[in-house]
Amino acid sequence: MNIIKEIKSERLGDHYYEVKHPSGLKIFIYPKENNNSTYAIFGTKYGSIDNCFKTSDEDQVKEVPAGIAHYLEHKLFESEDGDAFARYAKTGASANAYTSFDKTCYLFSCTDNVYESLEILLDFVQSPYFTEQTVKKEQGIIGQEIRMYDDDPQWRVMFNLLGALYHNHPVKLDIAGTVESIAKITPDLLYKCYNTFYNLNNMVLCVVGNVDYNKVLELCDKMLKPSKPVKIDRIFEKEPDDVVKPRVEQKLSVASPIFELGFKEHADENRKTANQIAQTEILLEVLASESSPLFKRLLDAGLINQSSFSYEYFEGPGYSSIIFSGESKDPDTVAKEINKEVADLRKKGINSAAFERAKKAVYGRMISSFNSVDNIANMMAALTFTGHELFNYVDAIAEADINSINARLNSQFKEDCSALSVVLPLD
Amino acid sequence: MIGIEQRSVCNGVNFRSVKDTKFKTVRMSVSFLMPIKKETAAVNALLTFMLSRACKQYPNFTKLGERLAELYGANIDADVQKLGDVQLLHLSATGIADRYALNGESISTELSKLLCSIIFEPPLEKGLFPLDSFEQEKRQTIELIKSEYNDKRIYARQRCEEIMCSKEPYGINRFGSIEDIKNIQREELTQAWHNLLEKSRIEILVLGDCHPDPIFEDFYNAFKLINRTSITPCNTTNILKAEKVNDVTEKMEVAQSKLVMGFRTQTAIPDENVESVILLSAIFGGTPNSKLFLNVREKLSLCYYCSSAYDIMKGIMLVQSGVETKNVEKAKDEILLQLNEIKKGNFDDNEINAAKLSLSNGYHSITDSLAVLEAWYLAQTFSNQVKRPEEAAAIINSITRDKVIDAANRVTLDTIYRLVGSGEDVK
Repeated sequence: MNIIKEIKSERLGDHYYEVKHPSGLKIFIYPKENNNSTYAIFGTKYGSIDNCFKTSDEDQVKEVPAGIAHYLEHKLFESEDGDAFARYAKTGASANAYTSFDKTCYLFSCTDNVYESLEILLDFVQSPYFTEQTVKKEQGIIGQEIRMYDDDPQWRVMFNLLGALYHNHPVKLDIAGTVESIAKITPDLLYKCYNTFYNLNNMVLCVVGNVDYNKVLELCDKMLKPSKPVKIDRIFEKEPDDVVKPRVEQKLSVASPIFELGFKEHADENRKTANQIAQTEILLEVLASESSPLFKRLLDAGLINQSSFSYEYFEGPGYSSIIFSGESKDPDTVAKEINKEVADLRKKGINSAAFERAKKAVYGRMISSFNSVDNIANMMAALTFTGHELFNYVDAIAEADINSINARLNSQFKEDCSALSVVLPLD
Repeated sequence: MIGIEQRSVCNGVNFRSVKDTKFKTVRMSVSFLMPIKKETAAVNALLTFMLSRACKQYPNFTKLGERLAELYGANIDADVQKLGDVQLLHLSATGIADRYALNGESISTELSKLLCSIIFEPPLEKGLFPLDSFEQEKRQTIELIKSEYNDKRIYARQRCEEIMCSKEPYGINRFGSIEDIKNIQREELTQAWHNLLEKSRIEILVLGDCHPDPIFEDFYNAFKLINRTSITPCNTTNILKAEKVNDVTEKMEVAQSKLVMGFRTQTAIPDENVESVILLSAIFGGTPNSKLFLNVREKLSLCYYCSSAYDIMKGIMLVQSGVETKNVEKAKDEILLQLNEIKKGNFDDNEINAAKLSLSNGYHSITDSLAVLEAWYLAQTFSNQVKRPEEAAAIINSITRDKVIDAANRVTLDTIYRLVGSGEDVK
């Protein structure tokens, strides 16, 4: 029996259904009746960081090569009777997939033939087919994907930063792995990872758009193969709170230096709460948005520009950092100025007008993101694996108070747990 | 589908609106259209960015930023593009629908006033833009131009376009050159501002959950004060056939080589055959079921990406790929071979239908995003008849196989551009 819960948001005027399917899968159906397109994600809580694990029905800890989750994503599109793209070609759906640090998601968007497309999605993700030959063929394609990222200064500056922040956590490893690590991938290893992580109890289905909720569930009943409930232990080496090194540099073919400045914060198996994440978003808005005094000072000094300066709260299983990034002729001075601003703000406390503005801005942008079926589905999948609920998160923004933001300011941004990564132009 | 309303504000100023309450936001934009010329490209681009940063009431970007944050994280954005040989200078405002404002504010009314204000009331001092913000914007625009060098995929595409269209206005960078930006005087900027308001063709678009009437009124009143007696016409001339093939190889410190091939199609807006070329490009390299994806990537494992894109305004088609240097010629030969296959009619109904379904899916999704809808109507500025997305989809569906073969046989190779790692030679 399906266990169905309807979840409503007064604030947004939207609602969705959360279904616990007997197969073990969690399903979200978010109706958008006036939309032409429907977007569906079938995702697993399995990403590039899950290289060492043990299931509750086995004794042995298994270690696998870096990049295997991403490799598996590529290979899952192929099955014994052809590939999934060829099947989608008959429905017109635009299909894709992505692998991040902590999840792998298969998705499509379409305006017609929604249920046919959904059937393809549910079918191919549950039908692995790996042979020596098909696995080998992918080496060339993924090899070129890795080479493309080798030339991408934004990608390099980020992974150099993660390598400077994290001693042991696999978040520092490139999502696609290396040419050497992917050479070790075999069909057996792919099956091992597939059978561990593509268990429906470890997965989620999000369907957002112009859909009939009963038809989606009928299709799920027909297509989903029940999984036995297995507990997966992801094994991470203990990560110290301090950083590996405070500064890292690389020279690449860029026109001007680019940087990422990261502040590492203690993280363990318990994820940050929805309130903490919302509060940090507001705090970042107060500290560094285009209307902040810091931003004005950096811009007037010619140290940053409006098209590249940005910040994010980078948070996942066992890792948590605040990251600033952009182009600058002098990244070290930018870092110094950011640290100075944090110290000043701690001393003075956050100005209440600035807080109210920041909260409104974060709230408004959150509301805006509910236009898009892709955004909603991706947010739902991400929040589910984090253990949070979507509308709750919206409320957490609207209900944040200034004391909580000041508290976040005092517990985050530790200068001695920060690192600066710089990519410089070639000589 | 909700219809588009059109009205004229004054000579050469069109106002178009689509009111659709399924969106939680509003989007309004003003696009100035001018022929792109070496002498004016830089000053027009700089002006567009300058205008977006301040107005009389909020005379610097911090003040304007504070106001936008108060309006629930609303945005004012500047963008410069090319539509064929036309420079499109675009200023837009986006924000949440009034029903989501927590204190009953009318966001759309406020945004309309702000957008009018930044365009018609820049914070001039004795008729000139303030010196400090002028210098700052110059720096930022130069940095923006430089940053396009960092993404080698974008860089290689732009180099190919530059080489291919070196004798046409289209070969001019949309932001002008760094040298030209440096040489701009403040007096020229004021002159360019007057020119834009008085002489350019202007398209105003208002989309989403708001009443367009008061916004129309705001612009109507603002333009009443402007003398618009002579409007600069905008035309694009197209070279129909390549006379000889440009063959250019450049070296750079990169891990992966880029190959870009530019083709002339003999077909551009307002030609009635553009849809045939759109379909041709989709079959050739527009989807994961296209000839390029299935052969260059899947069969030969030469690359991660290999795709074609057709510019309906300029009538050119570009094929882009990232490959090992030793495979550049192999990829080039395969790309030409696949085009030849289409010229000879070697493609089946499945390939046509897949391309049609994929394009149709894309067209029907347009009305689900305000940004995409806006781009759709802007791209049609120079069509003989403005089409709704579903009308375009119907035309695509009616195209016969013979039309695709005809379109392919009108295509000629104009330019081959390779960006290869230094120290490596193309075999």
